[in-house]
Amino acid sequence: MMIVIKAIIVLIEIIIAYLLQTSVFTELRLADVVPDILMILTASLAYIFGKKTGSLTGFICGMLIDCTYGSLIGLYALLYTVVGYMAGYAHRVYDENDYTISYFIVGGAEFLINVMYYVLFYFLRGDLDFGHFLVRYLFPRVIYTVLISILLYRLINLDNALFYKLSDGMKKKRVVTVFKGFDTDDDR
Amino acid sequence: MGRLKKNITITSKMIFTFLVIICVGLIIVSYLFADLLSPVRTAVGNFFVPMQKGISTVSGGISETLRIFSDKQKLIDENDKLTSEINDLKTEMQILIHQEYELKWYRDLYENDSVYQNAEKVAARIISRNPNGACDMFVIDKGKEDGIEVDMNVLAGGGLVGIITDVGSNWAKVRTIIADDSSVSGRFQPTSDTCIVKGNMRRMDDGYIDVEMINLNAEVYDNYEVLTSYISDKYLPGILIGYVTNIRKDPSELNKRAYLTPVVDFEHLEAVLIVKTLRENLEGFE
Repeated sequence: MMIVIKAIIVLIEIIIAYLLQTSVFTELRLADVVPDILMILTASLAYIFGKKTGSLTGFICGMLIDCTYGSLIGLYALLYTVVGYMAGYAHRVYDENDYTISYFIVGGAEFLINVMYYVLFYFLRGDLDFGHFLVRYLFPRVIYTVLISILLYRLINLDNALFYKLSDGMKKKRVVTVFKGFDTDDDR
Repeated sequence: MGRLKKNITITSKMIFTFLVIICVGLIIVSYLFADLLSPVRTAVGNFFVPMQKGISTVSGGISETLRIFSDKQKLIDENDKLTSEINDLKTEMQILIHQEYELKWYRDLYENDSVYQNAEKVAARIISRNPNGACDMFVIDKGKEDGIEVDMNVLAGGGLVGIITDVGSNWAKVRTIIADDSSVSGRFQPTSDTCIVKGNMRRMDDGYIDVEMINLNAEVYDNYEVLTSYISDKYLPGILIGYVTNIRKDPSELNKRAYLTPVVDFEHLEAVLIVKTLRENLEGFE
C-alpha cells in the first residue's frame, strides 16, 4: 500500500514538473533556454532515494518528452534513465540537511544529458561545432537549471520527510525508498 | 549481500537494465513503424492539453491584469497619437480601396489569386513548446473537434509558420519551417525560379534559415520574396515565407544556395492561423 501512495506522489511531481517545463518556463526563457525541470526532479530524487527511484523517475520523465515532442519514442527516456541511474550513485553522500551537494549533482546531470544529446543528435549528423553548442546552449541551460534547482530542491527534499512520516517511521531508517522492496541496501 | 533468500531481491541494476532494454526496444519499434505508437502520443497529449490550456489562460490573464497598471499618462499620449494615426490611415485607406479594385482586376487577369487569402481559417493559441526551448515545434489549442487535420498549413502575420504534423481531439502539433527536418518547396517572387527552403535551428540564432537548390542560371538577388511554390504537395501555393539574402554558389558548383529571413517572428509567436484547405483538395491548380 505504501509503495502505491509513494509512487502516486512521485507521479504527481513528475506531472507538475512536466507542466512547469512545457507551459510555464517556456514563457520565462533566459538567453533562449528553458531550465530542465524534469532533470532537476530526476537528479534530486536519485540523490535522495537512490538509483532505483532515479532510473524509474528518469524513465517516466523521458517517456513524457518522447510522447509529446520526440521524433523517436524511447530516446529521451534512455538518456534520462541513464542519467537518473548515474545520479543515484550520489545517494551514498546524501544528507537531508545539506542542500549544496544537490546543486552540483543537478548541474552535473544536466551537463551529462546535454553532451549525450549532442553526440546523438548533432555529432552523428556531422555537426562538429561543439564550441558553439557549448557556449550558446549548454552553459546557459546548465546554469539556468541549477539556479531553478536552488528553489525546487528544497521542495523535492520534503518528500523524504513526508515518506518517512507516511511509512510510520520504518524502524530507525530515515531514508526511505519510493518503491518497497527496492530498499537502498544494495546501492550503498 | 546477506539476504539471498528464496524471494528474489530486485536490485537497481536489474531495474536499470530492464528500463534500458524497454527504451532501446521502443526506439527500434518507433523507428521502423512510426504509426504504431501514435495512439500513445495522442493519449498523452489528451491527458496534458487541458492542464496546459488552463496554465496558458491563467498566465494570459495575469499579464492582462498587469497591463492595466501601466502608466495612465502613457495611455493618454498613446491615444492622441493613435487618433491622429487613424485619420491618416482613413485617407490612406480610401486610396487603397481604389487600388484594390485595380489589383483584383490585374489578379484575375494574371490568374494568380492567392488561394489561401479566401480560404477558411481558424485562429489558435500556442499552449506549449518544445521542452528544450527550441522553436521547432509547438502545440496549439485547436484539434480534430475544430476541424483541424494533419498537413494543414499554419500562418502568422502573413507568413508561413509551418505545418500540422499530429492532431488530437482538442490539440495539434505544429512543425515550424525552421525545424531541422523541415523542407518547403519555394519560388522567388518576381522571377518564379524554384528553390527548397530548409530549416536550420543553428543558423536561426542569427535569424536565417537555408535556401538550397537554386538553379545556377536563376536571376535572383538579395531581398527577393520567397513564396511557397505550385509544385509542393503539402503547402498551399503563394504563401510568403521570407526574404532571401547572401546568395552564393553551392560547394558542389551545381546550384546556388542562400540564406532566408523568415517573415514570422518564431521567438515571440503567441497565436497562429490555420488554413482549413488542404493542398490535395485544392482545385484548379493541378
